[in-house]
Amino acid sequence: MGKQIDLLQGTLDMLILKAVSLGPLHGYGVLLRIQQISGEQLEIQQGSLYPALYRLEHQGWIASEWGESDNKRKAKFYSLTAAGRRQLHSETEKWNRMASLIASILRTTSEQI
Amino acid sequence: MNLLTRFLSWWKWMVKGQRLESEMETEVRFHIESRAADLVRKGLSQQEAMRQARIEFGGIESHKDAVRASVGVRWWGELGSDMRHGLRLLRKNPGFTAVAILTLALGVGANTAIFSIVNAVLLHSLPYSDPDRLVRIFFNEPGVGLRDVSFSKPELDDLQTRAGVFEDVTPIFEGTENLTGAKQPERLEAVNGSFSYFSMLGVTPQIGRLFGPQDFAPGFAPLAVISDGLWRRAYGADPNVLGRTIRLDGDPATIIGVLPRGFRHPGPTTSGDVEVFGACGFSADPFPPPIRGNRDLVSGIGRLKPGLTLKQAQARLTAMAAQLRHDFPTDYPPQAQWTIEIQPLQETLVGNVRPMLLVLLGAVILIVFIVSLNIANLLLARASGRQQEMAVRLALGASRGRMVRQMLTESMLLSLIGGAAGIATAVGTLGFILRFVPSNVPRLSEVRIDWVVLAFALLISILAGLVFGLAPALLSAKGALSSAIREGGRGSGYSTKTGRLRDVLIVSELAFAVILMVGAGLLLRTLRDLLQENPGFNPTQVVTANTWLGVPNDPKTDPYLGIPGKATFDRELLRRMKAIPGVELAAITSSLPTTNSNPNAVGGLEIEGFAIEDRPVESSQDLRAERIRISPDYFKVLQATLLRGRSFTEGDEDGKQPVAIIDESTARKYWPTRDPLGRRMRFGQDPMEPWTTVAGIIKDIKNDGLDIDGVPHIYVSVYQDPSKQVSVVLRTSLPATLLEPQIRHEIQSIDPGLPVFNVVSMNDILDRSLASRRFSADLVGGFAGLAVLLASIGIYGLLAYMVSQRSREIGIRMALGAGRGGVLKLFLQKGIVLAGLGIVAGMVVSASTASLLGSLLYGVRPHDPAVFLIVPLLLFAVAVLASYLPARRATKVDPMIALRES
Repeated sequence: MGKQIDLLQGTLDMLILKAVSLGPLHGYGVLLRIQQISGEQLEIQQGSLYPALYRLEHQGWIASEWGESDNKRKAKFYSLTAAGRRQLHSETEKWNRMASLIASILRTTSEQI
Repeated sequence: MNLLTRFLSWWKWMVKGQRLESEMETEVRFHIESRAADLVRKGLSQQEAMRQARIEFGGIESHKDAVRASVGVRWWGELGSDMRHGLRLLRKNPGFTAVAILTLALGVGANTAIFSIVNAVLLHSLPYSDPDRLVRIFFNEPGVGLRDVSFSKPELDDLQTRAGVFEDVTPIFEGTENLTGAKQPERLEAVNGSFSYFSMLGVTPQIGRLFGPQDFAPGFAPLAVISDGLWRRAYGADPNVLGRTIRLDGDPATIIGVLPRGFRHPGPTTSGDVEVFGACGFSADPFPPPIRGNRDLVSGIGRLKPGLTLKQAQARLTAMAAQLRHDFPTDYPPQAQWTIEIQPLQETLVGNVRPMLLVLLGAVILIVFIVSLNIANLLLARASGRQQEMAVRLALGASRGRMVRQMLTESMLLSLIGGAAGIATAVGTLGFILRFVPSNVPRLSEVRIDWVVLAFALLISILAGLVFGLAPALLSAKGALSSAIREGGRGSGYSTKTGRLRDVLIVSELAFAVILMVGAGLLLRTLRDLLQENPGFNPTQVVTANTWLGVPNDPKTDPYLGIPGKATFDRELLRRMKAIPGVELAAITSSLPTTNSNPNAVGGLEIEGFAIEDRPVESSQDLRAERIRISPDYFKVLQATLLRGRSFTEGDEDGKQPVAIIDESTARKYWPTRDPLGRRMRFGQDPMEPWTTVAGIIKDIKNDGLDIDGVPHIYVSVYQDPSKQVSVVLRTSLPATLLEPQIRHEIQSIDPGLPVFNVVSMNDILDRSLASRRFSADLVGGFAGLAVLLASIGIYGLLAYMVSQRSREIGIRMALGAGRGGVLKLFLQKGIVLAGLGIVAGMVVSASTASLLGSLLYGVRPHDPAVFLIVPLLLFAVAVLASYLPARRATKVDPMIALRES
């Protein structure tokens, strides 16, 4: 396992939305998917996943449903709602703008000023 | 945006919290177990994997808490746990809890009960349709200082047709009528109005119909509408009562309708509720010809046209009165300045009891304040005992806001339990309380605990909770962390911060007690003065009884018509009364002292105009006096003092020279410079009437109430000026209850159709006339006593607490040589300073507010020096005693024990 990066403040919600946008997942599945996509490089406080999930559901961006997990156990599956899809889209947009902005600031050399 | 979604989700949590909690639990368990399973696959032992998974997950409870916070239900859960915590604390201190809840129940209960009366009497609209447009009409003569004078049929017609402000007007004739034909002749309260009386009030009958234009008769219509009460009492709620003929004062009347249960006539009646309603055209027998000068109508009510304000209507009426004065100068002498005034009906009905009710409401609100301050004190004492708990919580990361909330939740819990107990008390005892409310308070039958009253009770409880919860709450939040933990609640001293707050509470409690005591003192002094007031006669060993001879509409059917017929009855009545064993003397009067509750009632007492011989008529407008018809022995029975001249004799009868006896007030007012004896006067303005000669002067008798002075009275002989209202006064040592059957038997032996009512002793009559004052004085007095008790408990509790907290300090002082006297002084001084401050503050507030009581006082000024001297001295003495007891305990501290214990 390589060196892990702490999650940036406020990005957990976006990652959860992205994770469930690829298909319904239970809470633990969300954790696994994020870690899988990030190549095991993100450190997520496992417990803090749940307040975020409930908050997103409270805001209507994801919906939950009880179902059966791969190991035949009762689990709660989260899926993206239409509102969540829009939210993810705008968050992604915002993030990309922000990231490119910051990157361009950081690229700046003394001659360019 | 998705406010609705959020609300629905929040609501789901609120109502299905239990299930969602368990789902959350399942979810977390699933997560941890899945993780553990993965870890096992990586080679960990089952046990190690579970442990690892739990560590990775983090604090389960704090995450769950974060979940609750994220959906906005955390505070709800916290409230629940705060409440559970609070309840546990209350259970743990049963003594404190009992005292707090009992005093609160008393305070809130008293507030609820008094407010339910205020609400029904003062705040509710009258129970008629569109009650805001109903007004009482007064005719005044300000030029000669007269208000509410009688009026004539043409003046009534002017209001109806000429004024243009009334949709309808009706004169009101209140009085008693004899109902005969039933098993016992009964005296009923009756009202006669115009044929539109009911439609004006907007009433619909329970059965049958009410009066309408088709019933019109110039005199009395031979019809009657009866109340629900009479219908049930006399006719067993028989629907066939319609069409039945009853006899009222001998006149036949056919019952055409029964009123709904809740209907009340809007006016002060001579007593009780009106049970029979008649209608009249007021322009034919027994009424005089409808000319302007025949002012026989006594009171009127009207309904304003819609859209007209009271002010506009008043302006038009004033203008019309001016025009009438101009058009009919002989009917309206200019110096009288005759005019018309209207007042909201509600105001005329409840205006006179408003001051009393508001004073009572003020008193109960003060009581609930004092109760709250007392509880605040107890809570503060407890809070300083809990400082360590608070400090530990703060240290463990509780926010100060969270602590304040917890303390407030505890106080609110207490106040709501106390409030609920108070409301329950009020609901349970309201009927009982209402029995003590004097009957001159109108609309008592409408008093009930409705949602307005409940809201008020809740508000009072919450306010009380805030008053006693805020101080300890703020204190807990301010608590200094380290020192509290270090001190470890070892009772190492009396902290200045709590101390200051508690001092303030005690001082305000004392100040409130002073205000209540001053109010109670003034009211009780008034009552005492009135009880000792000399009524002008000796009321002991006098029994009274009443009958009403009835006024038939058709004079031909009147068995007591004219002076001779009536005198025969009177003489026979007196002969029979004197023959009753145990009766020494008997006399008749048309008006018993202090029973004249309604001057407008038929047969009631009225201030009448009279003329004095050799004085110009124009200046006679302001000559007014109450005319009382009496038999010769009246003054002897009452043992009133004849100052000069002579009493009436059997010879002062019809056909002889009419004579009168005047009282001192009349003599002073109307013959200020001359000797009235032998002078002549006559009632009314009819020049054909013979003059009456003043034959004697009697010392003033308080005929209109112990608290009413200076009304001029003129007594005339009942044999010369008969009265249908016959009250018997008997001088006897026997009680009224024993005499009643004999009096009834004797009166009904003369005429079986006569009702006999209110057989009571004269002392009871005087007592009843003070009922309203006694009620408010007793109530406020009781509250003041309670306030003093609570305040002294407060002082005692504070000092006792100080002594126990400072026992170590006392021990050291004494070990170092301080004397017991010095220790006593230390604590006594504290109590005295607090008491002094509270009393001074209370006196200042009382002095500036005492005048609010003005209208409830008689013979006592609002700043009565005696009250303002006795109250502080009394309270001070109580406060010193309450401080002395704990201070003495301080001197008993054994230095050895005190030092060893700490």
